[in-house]
Amino acid sequence: MLMEKGFTVVRPLAGGFDGWVEAGYPTEPV
Amino acid sequence: MTTLVHYLVQYGVALVFLNVFLEQIGAPVPALPTLIVAGALARDGKLSSTHVLVGAVAACLIADWLWFVLGRRYGYRVLRTICRISLSPDSCVRDTEANFERWGLKSLLFAKFIPGFSTVAPPLAGATRHRTLQFLLYDGLGAILWAGAGVAAGRAFHRAIDRLLLALERLGWWAVVFVILILALIVLFKWWQRIGFYRQLRMARITVDELRAMIDGGQAPVVLDVRTPSVRKRDPRRIPTAIVTESAEIDLHIGDVPPHKEIVLYCT
Repeated sequence: MLMEKGFTVVRPLAGGFDGWVEAGYPTEPV
Repeated sequence: MTTLVHYLVQYGVALVFLNVFLEQIGAPVPALPTLIVAGALARDGKLSSTHVLVGAVAACLIADWLWFVLGRRYGYRVLRTICRISLSPDSCVRDTEANFERWGLKSLLFAKFIPGFSTVAPPLAGATRHRTLQFLLYDGLGAILWAGAGVAAGRAFHRAIDRLLLALERLGWWAVVFVILILALIVLFKWWQRIGFYRQLRMARITVDELRAMIDGGQAPVVLDVRTPSVRKRDPRRIPTAIVTESAEIDLHIGDVPPHKEIVLYCT
């Protein structure tokens, strides 16, 4: 969808939010 | 009565039960063709439509209930397991989740008509803590609609199906080889699609370490948190600076973003 709008570099995050948390990286409240 | 039809009549209901059960449990063996053939045989008076429907609905309920219980016990981990065995790259957990959140248990009424959604919806119902009786009610109604549609199609096109069965009969044992070959081709095609899908994903994805390095290096991309509201409710945190949005509302948040700017999306 984003690529159809002209964005050329769109990448999903491997492992998603769970992967980010499991790696021990910081988060902030929504 | 020909030998092939004789066997189909003798083991028809058991075959329908087994095929539907395997499909609902996640195996890549389509059950709709079997239901259509059973419907045609029922129209010819060789099988009972009621027995076929009861067999199909019972198989659906047993398989779906198993997934429901596993979903209730193990939560979202079960969905990842299903995605691994179903060979359906289109059944992204997030899309299914969004559909399920939109329609709730009512989505079970049409879930079986949507490839991928059929197997993912029951564990999702379990993971989101729906009541067993309500689940069985909607799931049963959905199964009746789906199996009923297959049987009705078979009844409507019974002449064409009879001709097909006769042609297969003339092939003798080659008919069995032919059917197995078709099934093997379906599985192979889905597997090939899946390999391609994951290869594409691997090439396109960004790792958490890469993203962290970009943020630390002052080259942070636009990060979009596209998790569903219920997932976000369970875990109300986000990656620092991420924009929290729904798929349908992305436009509102990226209006000022230049097209060459990198965008990173994440769900659960």
